[in-house]
Amino acid sequence: MRLDIRELGQFNRLASNGAERAARSLSQLTGIDITVEVTDVSLVTDEVLAETFSGQEFVGVQVGLAGGLAGETILAFERSNANVLQSLLLDRSGADRSLAQSGVSELGNIMIGGFIDGWANHLGEAINMTPPTYLEAQGTRILPRETMRAAGDKGVFLFESRLEALNENLDFSIYMLPEYGEFVEMLSRSPTEPTIPANKLRAFDGLAKRGAHRAAEQIGMMTGIDTDVNVSQIRFVTLSDVPATVGNDRSVGVVFTLSGMPSGYLVILFDEASATTVAEAMMPGGMAEDGIGTLTEGAVKELGNIMTSGFIDGWANVLGTSIEHSPPNYIYDMSSSIMSPVVAKLGQRQEYAFVIDSTIQLDGRTGQCDIYALPDERELAKTLSALPTTAG
Amino acid sequence: MATDLLGADNRQASRKKVGIADLVVVDDDTHLITSGLGSCLAIVLFDPQHGVSGLLHAMLPHAEAARDSTPTKFVDTGVEALISQIEAAGGDPRRLQAWLVGGSQMLEFSGGEDSIGARNIDAAKQILSSRSIPIVGVDVGGSHGRSIEFRPADAALSVRTADGTEQSLS
Repeated sequence: MRLDIRELGQFNRLASNGAERAARSLSQLTGIDITVEVTDVSLVTDEVLAETFSGQEFVGVQVGLAGGLAGETILAFERSNANVLQSLLLDRSGADRSLAQSGVSELGNIMIGGFIDGWANHLGEAINMTPPTYLEAQGTRILPRETMRAAGDKGVFLFESRLEALNENLDFSIYMLPEYGEFVEMLSRSPTEPTIPANKLRAFDGLAKRGAHRAAEQIGMMTGIDTDVNVSQIRFVTLSDVPATVGNDRSVGVVFTLSGMPSGYLVILFDEASATTVAEAMMPGGMAEDGIGTLTEGAVKELGNIMTSGFIDGWANVLGTSIEHSPPNYIYDMSSSIMSPVVAKLGQRQEYAFVIDSTIQLDGRTGQCDIYALPDERELAKTLSALPTTAG
Repeated sequence: MATDLLGADNRQASRKKVGIADLVVVDDDTHLITSGLGSCLAIVLFDPQHGVSGLLHAMLPHAEAARDSTPTKFVDTGVEALISQIEAAGGDPRRLQAWLVGGSQMLEFSGGEDSIGARNIDAAKQILSSRSIPIVGVDVGGSHGRSIEFRPADAALSVRTADGTEQSLS
């Protein structure tokens, strides 16, 4: 079975439209402007689901689907954010608490309905929906057992839409998981190039993990700081949404051009405090500088070089290809504007991007570093397709 | 949290955020904001007579050189789409004035080609000149990122950089 990348892009767009619809309804219900920052779809394992959902209370709705797309689909968001939404609804609706409560669960219906309508239109087939079941649970228990089993076995597709209220301190994610088998079936009905073989999807996960672990080892060797790879996953996202995924905070970054199979870009971002920490750890005799200056620049460039070599060595192991990297481009600026030229470069050839996204925790979580690899999608698909089946 | 270029006094004004490869047109005093401008270029068009304004956040200069056809991704097709939407909202294309912000060269890519930022600026100047739209405010080029907020009520555009520097173009 081969998965059609264009088709995956189409589903990402449909998911994004569903989220836009939900945001508009929510804006009307609460009277505050809520926008969708980004919608992406990632292939995740049970481990990543556990990291994503751990330690949080969730509310959600689960619906059974039949017709063009069958199986169980779940939509979930954090309980604490549901509470904020509920209080906004209460403010709006006065004393009618039941209206506010139904408003929160109604959000689930609107959003999931938006997705399903879009999918039915796209497929040209009706999709029937069972009445939604309202759920509340801790961590991954919000997810159906079958989802966790599929995640452990082959990985599952997780749609995440990040919504933000413009004039309120509210920023939350809505997660949606269609049933794996059905979804893969749909992505492979009439594949057109570029495609990725479904049985190579696990190799994808290997790409995310190996690269990040190698890069983390290099940080440990260069700085003596303990490192831990917290999350690494592959997101499939509209290219123009990539800058929004990194936010507008100021970062110390290094950008590398990759050449070989696949070519692409590697972006490493440190928050300011973490950049200072690693730079001080690398300077002889505990030298330090005020703020982010030339010493930090030199240290981060050197570290970035070594991390990138480690990262692409990890990839070479999975893909069996050779990849080279350019000298580091150093930038100290808004994270989103650091990503801007990278997406523009890729945007000349593609509309969507696979973003291999890893977070390395430093020194017992006191700091962190984010690595974003953006390979050329056609070259990545070609390289994965060429892997022997045992690698899948 | 949303970028706040103006401080608490203006938080009550309605604001619309414009994503990359997207445009928004308004016919009231809603502030238009966009952030993370690196090599991308923001083009604001405003018809003061009818109070219609629009913001485009374009990624690349020319649609014909690329493989996809999202008009708002490109300066040339995006500006045309922006003008059409402003007209549909009651604006007059002959009364428009323009602001350009962004088009930095953030990275040195190998190959020695002109930067995407510089090509975006050229494309915008070319199309605005062909439509006889005057450019009234410019903050382009350099090697840094920018975020902006356009306030139709006073026809002013604020530009903020990562180091906290803020300037107003009006």
